[in-house]
Amino acid sequence: MSVTSDPADPPAPPTSSGGAATVAFEHVTKVYGRARKDTPGAVDDLSLSVPAGKICILVGPSGCGKTTSLKMVNRLIEPTSGRILIDGVDAATRDVTELRRGIGYVIQSTGLFPHQTIGQNVAVVPRLLGWSAARQTERTEELLGLVGLDPARYRDRYPSQLSGGERQRVGVARALAADPPVMLMDEPFGAVDPIVRDRLQNEFLRLQAELAKTILFVTHDIDEAIKMGDLVAVMQVGGKLAQFGTPAEILAAPASNFVARFVGADRGLKRLSLFRVGDLTPARPVMARPGDDVEEIRRNLADDPIGYLLVVDEERRPIGWVDPIDLPATGPLARELATPMSPFLEPQTTLKDALSMLLGADVQAGIVIDPDQRVLGSVTVDAITEVMRTKGQRRGPRHDPAGPDESR
Amino acid sequence: MIDLRWIGGHLGAIGDSLLQHVLLTVTAVGIGFAISLVLGLIAQRVRWTYGPIAATTGLLYTIPSLALFAFLVPFTGLSFLTAEIGLVSYTLLILIRNVVAGLDGVPPDVSEAAVAMGLTSRQRLVRVELPLATPVIVAGIRIATVTTIGLVTVTGIIGQGGLGQQIFLGLQLAFPTRIYVGVVGSILLAFLADVGLLAIQRRLTPWTQAGGR
Repeated sequence: MSVTSDPADPPAPPTSSGGAATVAFEHVTKVYGRARKDTPGAVDDLSLSVPAGKICILVGPSGCGKTTSLKMVNRLIEPTSGRILIDGVDAATRDVTELRRGIGYVIQSTGLFPHQTIGQNVAVVPRLLGWSAARQTERTEELLGLVGLDPARYRDRYPSQLSGGERQRVGVARALAADPPVMLMDEPFGAVDPIVRDRLQNEFLRLQAELAKTILFVTHDIDEAIKMGDLVAVMQVGGKLAQFGTPAEILAAPASNFVARFVGADRGLKRLSLFRVGDLTPARPVMARPGDDVEEIRRNLADDPIGYLLVVDEERRPIGWVDPIDLPATGPLARELATPMSPFLEPQTTLKDALSMLLGADVQAGIVIDPDQRVLGSVTVDAITEVMRTKGQRRGPRHDPAGPDESR
Repeated sequence: MIDLRWIGGHLGAIGDSLLQHVLLTVTAVGIGFAISLVLGLIAQRVRWTYGPIAATTGLLYTIPSLALFAFLVPFTGLSFLTAEIGLVSYTLLILIRNVVAGLDGVPPDVSEAAVAMGLTSRQRLVRVELPLATPVIVAGIRIATVTTIGLVTVTGIIGQGGLGQQIFLGLQLAFPTRIYVGVVGSILLAFLADVGLLAIQRRLTPWTQAGGR
């Protein structure tokens, strides 16, 4: 959801912010049918509090009550007992339509109105709120731009004419239309393929870094929970809250066997997805351009800890590695010597993905590049595994709103 | 066999028959649709009522038209009302079924999103459910209209005019031209009504024409 645009058209200022609200569950219970607590979707004495502007992920196996919990916030489902406070106000005491108009809602199947154009879909809530036509149009254009859809191209199309990923973006734009302080998202990226999902997740995190809404987000995918969540509530069947904490806390110290099993035996590995390549200090390999003098290169390599030469072009874009053994005794450096086998890593790449790419490419070091493909340094498997060993390390900055859009 | 001179000389009378035919049809389908919309909405929302409603309208539909008119004449006479009671009854089965099917066809995620965005139940009906049910409802109206145009020829027998009257007069007078005028006229009318309603439906539901990407 890029906020960048061409220089002639300055980016829109950050959306007027309706701010964010705290959402607190106080002993919320939902019992279905004959008070059997293990009915799928039941919720048992749920208490948790989401600070304003944070993403709280509700994660758990199917039937654990995560969707029920979400739908109790906008009262699609009424709790059997307990209260849900939005900015301290009990949701049950508010007028239900007015409450819902102030809460964004995004679902897996999008729920876009098939008979309305994309523009009309985005403007549903503003229209209900009685905004002027001009203001509705302005807001629609702004939001479509915000989620990376060119308004001129998409405004007058129907949902059936869009791809799954595009529809999901429209769903997010529609939920944001009236600038609600709270958003509810029920497996919003569950219906798209893994590549599109990853891109939508990244774009959404960038958008959220700017908008800072309070978001309750349901998923059954622990990896998505770790990636997207500031806070994660792990729920288990019967609607019990098994653990509530930051992703790092849950991975480092699962509160029960259930949580440990749910996050998986590879939780050490999963912790890696909390860190990004940019959090590491990249090593600076010796670099040279084709044509450089080999004797000088040999001198530079003599006491280099990496021991390999990185060949780059005039723009400092990587060409490949050279083993010093293969270097001729004298003369200019030949471009052909370089083997382009290292994967390229971006500062936003998670360490988990980086490790996976390195293992997949069967090399020890990856090349870190900036958006212009210029070399920033290199990262080795050892540097990544070092993070796994380090305990209690502060969670790195997850997303950089000003960062380049790696998805394009 | 076909006396074109007679046709040329009686264009006014044929036009009147055609107009009466259209009037009887439009009235029947219009009233039938109004009743069906109400009953269909009730049946769709209060599910247990659907059985009795469907059974009753199904029963009405099975009564042969001539028998129904004969049954009504002692009460309502050889009147427009008699014709319409019969005609309206026959539209109900098709129309109610399509109203319910159309409303049932609204995707559940769309309904849920509408609720979650804070549309009131009336706003949901008018802005979401009825528009989405339109293709199915109009399909019902097309069938009901074509069926009614056929049945209106029968109302000629109770003296309510229409193209049917031309057929009956042709039979009585052994004058085939009038029979052909009545038969061909009602076939053409049915065909044009069907095509016209389809065109209207397409205008009303542009999203169904929107092709893929």
